[in-house]
Formats: sequence, C-alpha cells, structure tokens
Amino acid sequence: MNAAGWETVIGLETHVQLLTRSKMFCGCSSAFGAPPNTNVCPVCLGLPGALPIVNGRAIRLAVRAALALGCRVHARSIFARKNYFYPDLPKGYQISQYEEPLATEGGLEFTSAERGAVRATIARLHVEEDAGKSLHDRVPRATAVDLNRSGVPLAEIVTGPDFRSPQEARAYLLALKEVLQYAEVSDCDMEKGSLRVDANVSVRRAGETALGTKTEVKNINSFAFVEKALTLERERQISVLESGGTIVQQTMLFDARANTVRPQRTKEESKDYRYFPEPDLPPLEVPETWLGEERTAIPELPAAKRERLATRYGIPAQDAGVLVQTPAVADYFEAVVAAGVEAKPAANWIMGEVLADAKQHDGALRVPPPALAQLIALVKGGTVSTQAGKRVFEVLAERGGEPRAVAESLGLVQVADAGALTSWVDQALASHPSEMDRYRAGETKLLAFFVGQVMKLSKGKADPKLVPEVLKQRLGG
Amino acid sequence: MSVSKDEVLKIAQLAELHVDDAALPVLAQQMSRILDYVAQIATVAGSESAPPFIPGPVSAPFRADEVRPAPLAFGPKDLAPAFRDGFFLVPRLGQFAAGADAAVDDE
Amino acid sequence: MSEGALLDRLAQAGPLHALLTPLDEVRSGVAAQATRPPAQGVLAGVPLVVKDNICTLEYTTSCGSRILEGYRSPFDATAIVRLKAAGAVIAGKSNCDEFAMGSSTEHSAYGRTNHPLDPARVPGGSSGGSAALVAARAVPAALGSETGGSVRQPAAFCGVVGIKPTYGRVSRYGLVAFGSSLDQIGVFGDTVTQAGRVLSVISGRDPFDSTCADRDPVVPPERPRDLKDVVIGIPGEYFPADLDRGVRRACERAMERLRALGATLRDVSLPHTKYAIPTYYIIAPAEASSNLARYDGVRYGPRFGDPVDVRALYRNTRGQGFGPEVRRRVLVGTYVLSSGYYEAYYGRAQRMRGLIAQDFDRVFGDGIDLLFTPATPTPAFRAGENMADPVAMYLADIFTVTANLAGLPAMTIPIGRVQGLPIGGQLIAPAFEEARMLGTALALEAVVTGTEEA
Repeated sequence: MNAAGWETVIGLETHVQLLTRSKMFCGCSSAFGAPPNTNVCPVCLGLPGALPIVNGRAIRLAVRAALALGCRVHARSIFARKNYFYPDLPKGYQISQYEEPLATEGGLEFTSAERGAVRATIARLHVEEDAGKSLHDRVPRATAVDLNRSGVPLAEIVTGPDFRSPQEARAYLLALKEVLQYAEVSDCDMEKGSLRVDANVSVRRAGETALGTKTEVKNINSFAFVEKALTLERERQISVLESGGTIVQQTMLFDARANTVRPQRTKEESKDYRYFPEPDLPPLEVPETWLGEERTAIPELPAAKRERLATRYGIPAQDAGVLVQTPAVADYFEAVVAAGVEAKPAANWIMGEVLADAKQHDGALRVPPPALAQLIALVKGGTVSTQAGKRVFEVLAERGGEPRAVAESLGLVQVADAGALTSWVDQALASHPSEMDRYRAGETKLLAFFVGQVMKLSKGKADPKLVPEVLKQRLGG
Repeated sequence: MSVSKDEVLKIAQLAELHVDDAALPVLAQQMSRILDYVAQIATVAGSESAPPFIPGPVSAPFRADEVRPAPLAFGPKDLAPAFRDGFFLVPRLGQFAAGADAAVDDE
Repeated sequence: MSEGALLDRLAQAGPLHALLTPLDEVRSGVAAQATRPPAQGVLAGVPLVVKDNICTLEYTTSCGSRILEGYRSPFDATAIVRLKAAGAVIAGKSNCDEFAMGSSTEHSAYGRTNHPLDPARVPGGSSGGSAALVAARAVPAALGSETGGSVRQPAAFCGVVGIKPTYGRVSRYGLVAFGSSLDQIGVFGDTVTQAGRVLSVISGRDPFDSTCADRDPVVPPERPRDLKDVVIGIPGEYFPADLDRGVRRACERAMERLRALGATLRDVSLPHTKYAIPTYYIIAPAEASSNLARYDGVRYGPRFGDPVDVRALYRNTRGQGFGPEVRRRVLVGTYVLSSGYYEAYYGRAQRMRGLIAQDFDRVFGDGIDLLFTPATPTPAFRAGENMADPVAMYLADIFTVTANLAGLPAMTIPIGRVQGLPIGGQLIAPAFEEARMLGTALALEAVVTGTEEA
C-alpha cells in the first residue's frame, strides 16, 4: 500500500550459489562450513601464476536455470573481469560476464496481492565466481578474511524494474526460489547465503512514466527482511521528496537490529569496474546437446504442478500452493493420496502435522506416505479420535511403526463396543443421580456433562460420536 | 592526449597505488607522452571495423565437477603476512569504501 | 655437468649479476633435486636457470620486484614440473625486468644485469638474466618469458638461441601473468638443438591453462631442413632505410647463406608493422593493470610501512612495492580501461591486432613458408641510454612485438657480430609450425658463425 499518490518501482538482482561439488574455476570443494581457508588452492587464493578452468557442471546448471526461467540461452558468451579492490577478492577482480552474458530475455510469473498474476522480466542471467568472506567483528581494529567461499559458482539473475511493492518483491523471490529448487540448480537458502538479493528502489508520483532516481539496497538477509527493508527505503524516499529534497543515487544498507536503512558508511568513489573480456578464458560455448538435455532435466515446475494438483485432486488453489512449496512435499501428497485416502484430508494433515514436524526436523517428511494414509483412514473411520490421531502421528514420526499398532499400544483406540459403552454410561449415570433427575426434568443440555463424564471414566477411549446415543437410550427419553 | 595531474591522481586512486605529490607532474607528463604515442592507432584505416584478433582456443574447455584441488605444497598460514586462527588479517577497513559488490558486514 | 662444475660456472658468471639466487641456495636446491629417483629423460642432468617470474618450489619467485621479495611459491609451474620429470635440474632464478616489463633488465628492483661481453651494456630484457647465463655458458639452457619480445631480444643481444612458441603452445600455469593474451614461456639455448629439446619437454596440452592449445608437444627435427625450394619472405618493413648498418650486413650475409642452401627469398610486405608497438603498449599495460591488482599485501608478500587501515595497506604496498616502470604501466593500463576510454584504446587495439595478424595470414597464405628478419634494430645498447624517455625503450622491441601480437612462433639465432656485439637473425613461422621453424634454424645455424664479424 503506497503513501497516497506515490508509486514504488523495484528491481531485483539475485545471486544464487549453483549446486556443484567444486568451485567455478578450480577443483576446490565448494561445500559450506569448512574451517576457514581450508578449501583453497593457488587459483582461488589468487596466487601469482594461477589460472582459471571452467567447471562444466556449473554451466549446465546455469543453462538449466536459464531455461527454467524462460530465457534465451546464448550459444556463445564471454567471461569478463570486473576490477575492484577488496580484502576478500583475491585477484583484485572478479571473473563474471558483462556485455555478452549466458542468457537474456526471460520471465517468471508470481502472484501479487494487489495485481494478481504478474510476469517479472528477467533481463539477464549470467555466471560468475563468488568472493570470500570478510569478518569485521572478529578481531579488534582488523578484518579477518576467509577465502573458502572465493570462487564458488554463482548465477546472477537480474529483473527489470517490475515490482510495485515490497510485497511483490518478496513474492517474486519466493517464486524464484521455488523454481530454482525444483530444477535442483540451487538450494536458495538465504540463511546459508546461497541466495542473496540486492534491490534497486525508486518512487514516482502516481501517473508519472519516467523513473525516479534509484538507490541500491543491500544487506538483506531473509525473505522477511526483504519486505521490511524495501518498505523502509520507500518511506524514506517519499519523505525526502515530500519535504522538497532530491534522492541521491547511493547504496543504502539495511540494518536489521536498528530497523533502518542508512547510507553505506563511507564516501563512495565512482564505481569504475573497467570491464574487459577475460583473457585467461576463451569464449564460453554451450554445446547444442546441453539445451535439450537440460530442458529434459527440468521437472514439472511449481506453477504447472499447482494447476495440476488443484485440478486433478479438486483441492483449493491455496492448498495446492502450500503443497508445491517443495517438490518433496508435492510428491509426498500424491503418494499419500495414491495409498488410498481422499485428497482434502490428506492435504489438511500435510499442511498441518506433517509440515509442522518437518519444520522442526530440517524439512524431513518423517512418516512414510502409506503410514500416513493408514492413520488418516483410522481417524476417518472413528477408530481413533482426531486428537488421538495427532499423538499417534508424533510417535510414528519419532519411532516409525504401524499406525493401528501404535494406537493400540498407546491405548488410544476408541471403543465402539456397545457393551463397554453401556457399562461406562451406566457408571456415569449412577454417580450423578441428581443430574440425571435434572436431565429427565428437562435440562437436556446436561447431556454434554454426561458425555464428559463418560469420556473421563473411559479415559478418553469411548468413541465420542457414539456416546450421546447410548446416553439418550439409558436416560430413556 | 594530455593527462592532467588530477587525472593521474584519480587513476592512481582507482589502481590503489600511492603516488607522491612531488612525482605527479613528471608522471602526468610521461603518461601523456605514452598515451599520445599509442593513440596513433586511431588513424589507421580499417582499424575501426577490423575483427579483433584474440589468440588461443576457440572455446573454453570444461573441467569435471570433482573435488580435486590444484597442488598446494603449503597453505595460507605459511604464505600470509598476517594470519590468526585460520584467517588472513588485514587492518580495519577505515575509510576504505566497501567493494562495490562486497557483502557488507558479514558478521 | 657435475654439480661442482655447475656451481663453479655460476660463480664465474657472478659479476654479470644475472643470477638472483645466492649460490649456497643453488647448491642445496640442486642437491635436493638430486635425491629424487635417478634422472631419466631427454634432459637428464641438464641444469637450467629459470626466469624469476616463473613459479618454482625451490628458491624464491620475486619477479624482479620488491612486492614479491622473499615470496616462495607453493607450486611448480607446469613447465617446471615437466622439466623435472625429464630429468632437468633447476639451478636457480635469473634476473629480469620487474614483472617482465622492460627491454633491458634495468628495471629489476634487484639491480641490472651486465651484458656478458661488455658490462657497460645491457643484456636486453626482460629475460636478461637467463640470456646472459646461457651466453656465459654457465648453463646450456634457460627459461624466459615473452610478452613483447622478452626472450628473442635478449637472446639476440647476448648471442644465444631464443625461442618464443606459438601462443598456447606452452602452458602459462605458473608463469606470473603480465599480458595474458601475449604471454608465453620461452626458451634460451646454446644451440638450436638444445633449445628445441627444452621446448619439446615443456610444450603440449595442459588442463590447468584454458588458453593452452589441445595439442601434442613440439617434436623438434633431428636434422637441418632441406631448404631447396623453400620460399622465405623478407618483409621490407623490417629493413628500413635507417636500419643499423651492422645489423643489415649481418642479415644480408645470413640471407646469402640461405640462398646458398637453395632457399628462394622473396620480398613481402607487412604494412601494419609500424603500428605494432603502440598497439602492444595499449594491450599489455591494460591486461597488466588487472593482472597486478592481486599484489596488495593481503595474502602473501611483504607489507610496507605500518598501515593503519586497508586503504593504506594497498596504497603503501603497491606504491612502494612496485618500481617506476611497473607503476607507469599499471597507471596507463588503468587509464585505457577506464570508463569512456575502453573502446578508443583497448577495443581499437584488439582490432589493430587483427590487422597485424591478417598481414601475416596474407603472406603465409601466399606461398611464403616462413619469414626472415633482424631480431633487433641495433645491437645491445648502453645501460642508461633508453631510460629517460619511456617510449624510446619501447622501440627496442619493434621487430619482435609483431609475433606476440599475432600469436606466432618466432626465434632468433646468432648470425654474426658487429664491433664485437652479437646480432640475431629472426625466423617467424605460421602458427604451430615450430618444427618447420626449428629445422630451418638448424640449417642456418650450420652455415653461419655467430661470432664472426659481419
């Protein structure tokens, strides 16, 4: 929702780490979490005499990403040096792509709360290497540098100025993450840094067509912060303009703790990267065969899967949206239904219990589909109550087993046996003669009280659906 | 092509290379001389549109995605002028502009 | 050569100031290499010195610069790995112009090297140390590097054989980069055969260098080539009217000998030759300015002063660690790549390079087998002679730079003396025709006497 009369324009630049074993230009491991400066070699250390060699799989994954995002993949593209100085940039330049990138002209659909289905334009996707990490607070008055991340393969994905609100920016990013995870190109984990985003933000008066001066917003470390940071910057810009000021083109840093955006601490000298084609690498040629192979490697993507699940299983679009969050969850849903339960209960259980459990266990779907199907059937058939079912689920998740056996061992199987029910009912009635009288005198709402007593006596085992009937019978009337 | 002292200073800053104030005039003069000299190629007929020549293979060869680090007889600890707890150490950033695309304040 | 004899000869060559490695370090370095399994291979027991800008596990690799003073490389260049596998012994690092930028070795931070025959003169550069040590017969062969003639020019000045391979013929992995699209490791030898043998060992495909051609190593010819009916081109641009008369005499004598061997000599033209130097002095500094950005005091090498912050670290290290010629080239290179100038300078120079390469293509495609030219416009000049005007020094490479720009193989052999100073005759061949070039050089070597006054 914009301040009255203002329109926000946002473009996003996303860096995703490609799912390779080794780095972009050398054979070092690209795994996260190793002790500092242990995944290094002459190449990623920028030692004198070292030279880059292209990781073929990184290019394949980038091609796959480009195809999944509807881009035109260029058979020939050029690596370029982006020259600047920083302690975690060992060569004093980053090998990237500039005038002739791997892919251009793609798009990605996402759902905007305000505008419905929107197609973001993907201006370009190119490959490059990551820099290392600088840690500013580890040693007083010094910066500690770890080059494990130096040389890790990245794809940079740049949109046009397509988003009209911070919410839209976030929605796009979630859609992007889905597609790239589905295509197994990247795990897009903002916490681990395998997905990073910088935003360009400007505002203009509603109805204006020219773009306002934009600022770049950096240091956004989670999806939630995306909305926060962009909202803050938009508000800042509107406030400046409304008080008669002008927007300075600069880099703004989001500070999560202080909940502000502030200009980058130091005075920016003009960023002249002196791009030129990388003389240590001949042109990047993508073999024709890769296009077909990588297209085939792209599974059914989230948007299509959402459609299909909603249509085929007759579940609401919103539910389908939740279920396609990851391919694993979507496959799980289909497996549970295939094991013989109705789609809606399956969807409910998955959106509820299963995903809650998965969240606590690093995404693991711990109860196998057949077991969940059986459990759902038990609840539907009244063998266990819904409450009891949740307890059974917990045990199944923790220790496995067969749902009915687990229910029995926990004593949760509901008793529907007429004799047992009658016995409990009689006991309850016998213990509460005055209430019985009052009921017979017309206080029919006391039925609930008796149901409660029966449940207590049976330690919850009585089937609550059958108890009222038996009570009415025994109360006579 | 005349290069002024100011321009030399700006270029030296881009190249992160300290140049004494006293040395600036001579440097400006030498650079002007060199740039004048090399600029003559702009006069060559056909040089605007001739296809560039870049030697070497036609396309970049690909490496298999295996973890196989290039030989390194000894590591960062033995190379670094300042090293502690596994990290290269540099003095504080101070006035240094964060590298344009450097992730800011990683920790 | 025994270890003792080697050290004696290196010691004898001491006054040349060509060897950067102290002799006691050479002694222990050589001894350590000798403890490996018995030397087999084509270069068994052959000692070589290696230019200081090529990475070796033994000794330091300082590129003639203070910014890498004391730097020990944790890996061997591919060329070094191959030399060792062929039984060769690395006998120390030789002096050179700082980061290979220069044509006289006067720009070394460790002092200049003397010409082997006249200490008042330069041995050429940038690989002056290697050239001088081979000329002094301290070692039979040596490695150097070329970006704009830095093997052939000092080889010619010092009177030894010098080879620049086709671009991509020898892996650049471990050659400290100066001008990446021009750099090649080159070879010095006391004879064509010796130099050819070293080339055969170090050349060939390498998975560590993406610009290295996917080809087998050079197979040097065993015999001189029969030059009957071979057509050798003589480009007029390399014999200008004001060419040093001694150089001209030596070349004309060599050409007579080539004719006597049955070759046909034909006048040809490479019209863009005069633009080679300005083209080179855009491309090489531009690439150098980027290649040298890694020298920042962060991960290796010394730090200068006591930097209070990162900016000071960079600016002090680079301001004090680099010498004046390197600083100049880094600044020129940064300038020509900077915003607004790229197309006019670097962009245009790449196209100019295309025109120069086309000159050669046209001539080679027109029945010319290879080219013969003087290697340098003059014999070795005096120390200090070309230091005042940077451009004056550049012109020393006027006959060598074209082959670097066109990526072609070229070599020089001694063809005579002028007032006691060596003169080199240059052969330039089509791409990857090193065998043809070496065969022709063998034939010429057999009929000229390098020490004979022209």
